[in-house]
Amino acid sequence: MAKLLVVDDEEHIRLLYSEELKEVGYEVITAESGYKLLETIEEEKPDLVILDIKMVDYNGLDLLQDIRNRFYDLPVILSTAYDTFKEDMKSIAADFYVVKSFDLTELKKKIAMALETRLPT
Amino acid sequence: MASYEENPQGITKADIVVGIPTLNEAKTVGNTTEQCARGLREYFGNLNSVIVNCDNQSVDGTKDAFFAARCDIPRIYVSTQPGETGKGNNLRNLFEVVRRLEAQAVVVLEADISNLAPQWIKKLVEPILKGIGYVTPLYVRHKYEATLSSSVIYPLTRCLYGRRVRQPNAGDCAFKGSLVDAFLGSPVWTDAVRNSGIDIWMTTIALNARVPVSQCFMGTPKVHRVKDPYAHLSSIFRQIMSASFDLMGVYADFWRLVKWSKPTALAGTDTEDVESPLPVDVNMNRLYDRFVQGFEGASRVWEKMFDQTVCHKLNEIRDMGLQHFSIPTQTWARILFDAALIYHRVEEPQRTDLLDSLLPLYLGRVLTFVKKTERMSVQQAEDYVESECTVFEECKPHLIKIWE
Repeated sequence: MAKLLVVDDEEHIRLLYSEELKEVGYEVITAESGYKLLETIEEEKPDLVILDIKMVDYNGLDLLQDIRNRFYDLPVILSTAYDTFKEDMKSIAADFYVVKSFDLTELKKKIAMALETRLPT
Repeated sequence: MASYEENPQGITKADIVVGIPTLNEAKTVGNTTEQCARGLREYFGNLNSVIVNCDNQSVDGTKDAFFAARCDIPRIYVSTQPGETGKGNNLRNLFEVVRRLEAQAVVVLEADISNLAPQWIKKLVEPILKGIGYVTPLYVRHKYEATLSSSVIYPLTRCLYGRRVRQPNAGDCAFKGSLVDAFLGSPVWTDAVRNSGIDIWMTTIALNARVPVSQCFMGTPKVHRVKDPYAHLSSIFRQIMSASFDLMGVYADFWRLVKWSKPTALAGTDTEDVESPLPVDVNMNRLYDRFVQGFEGASRVWEKMFDQTVCHKLNEIRDMGLQHFSIPTQTWARILFDAALIYHRVEEPQRTDLLDSLLPLYLGRVLTFVKKTERMSVQQAEDYVESECTVFEECKPHLIKIWE
């Protein structure tokens, strides 16, 4: 069972993602901010991170750079309410992005793709 | 092996090597050397650096200009044998110097970049010193600049090897010194690689060496000598495609297992002043004419090599005329995949005929891209390229099937 880490400062998003993704068989852990995110990843060893771009205290795109620099191949899906973030170069270090929605079809599709994308070693 | 070397300071070891490949670059190599030296001194003054001019026996005084540059970084000049040209040959000499000097980090920069600045050295070297294995620059580009990369090399390399390297043959790069063992040990060392195929060859080998790859946002366009995009197009196209197809054969066991693609790390995101891309004029009528003219000669090759579905589709596309012209991405991906397989099944001169027959299709594909993105911003066009790459990835099972 793949373990997903949902990082979002909105509680209802964490709940929504958590419940729906658990229903389709994923183990889900959550974090409400980017505080000590790298340490959390180190300890929990998630298979994938779903990362909110705009959090009150943290910029998800900066966190993405930190994740990519330390965990080179860890899949990261950016979750955002706005798609203007693409103008920021930093976003290209993400595996995928999804626009936040109550319909998680697209998110589930991207999770499946990201987890499938394991380059042979 | 280099036929000639000058190492006036007797350098036997270095931490950082900057390589500048040249052929008759007396007017530009001095400035390039000085900018590199300033970057090395300013940002890596605590490390031992050397600048290597890897030349093709230039007759215009390139060597003298290189040594005359005002620079306090040690310099080495190496050259190929007289009459032996090609950037690939230059870089092979560089690899041997790097191996001998046991360098940790290597940067390759073309000699004619007029806006090269010392910070470029920092941007390219820093990721290597932090553990990245191979760095490609991410220059600010107009949507119609480097269309061979956007239409062919990027989508093909990405879908094959599973890593999103947007400018895989930018001409400049950085890599960790130990990677030269992979370069020098490659079974593919063809005429194409000795010439323009060298850039995609290096990137492909790095991807297959599974070293961490990073792209470095340069925040500026690469301003270099203005080249007529059509002047050497057929030979450059042939060399780059040939290098790509040859490497597909070598790495088939790897790419057949790769599904979808992953991003790379990204450096240079702290760049503050991002410049605008340089304007690029595109003549749609000329692209269309080149497609139609090429079609006449190439269709005989296609009939022999592609199956009837593809030939029928291409006839349909030609008959559309300029106004409705479009080569769909699925068709283009299938053409490239089929061509790669056929390339491996035939010998010369059919290989050259095949690659030459792809050129009008490539120009048709550029025309398709221009028509689709005419009213788009650079960012929107970039999103479009990304969506095309996804189509290539979705079509990859066809390649795997026919390859088996």
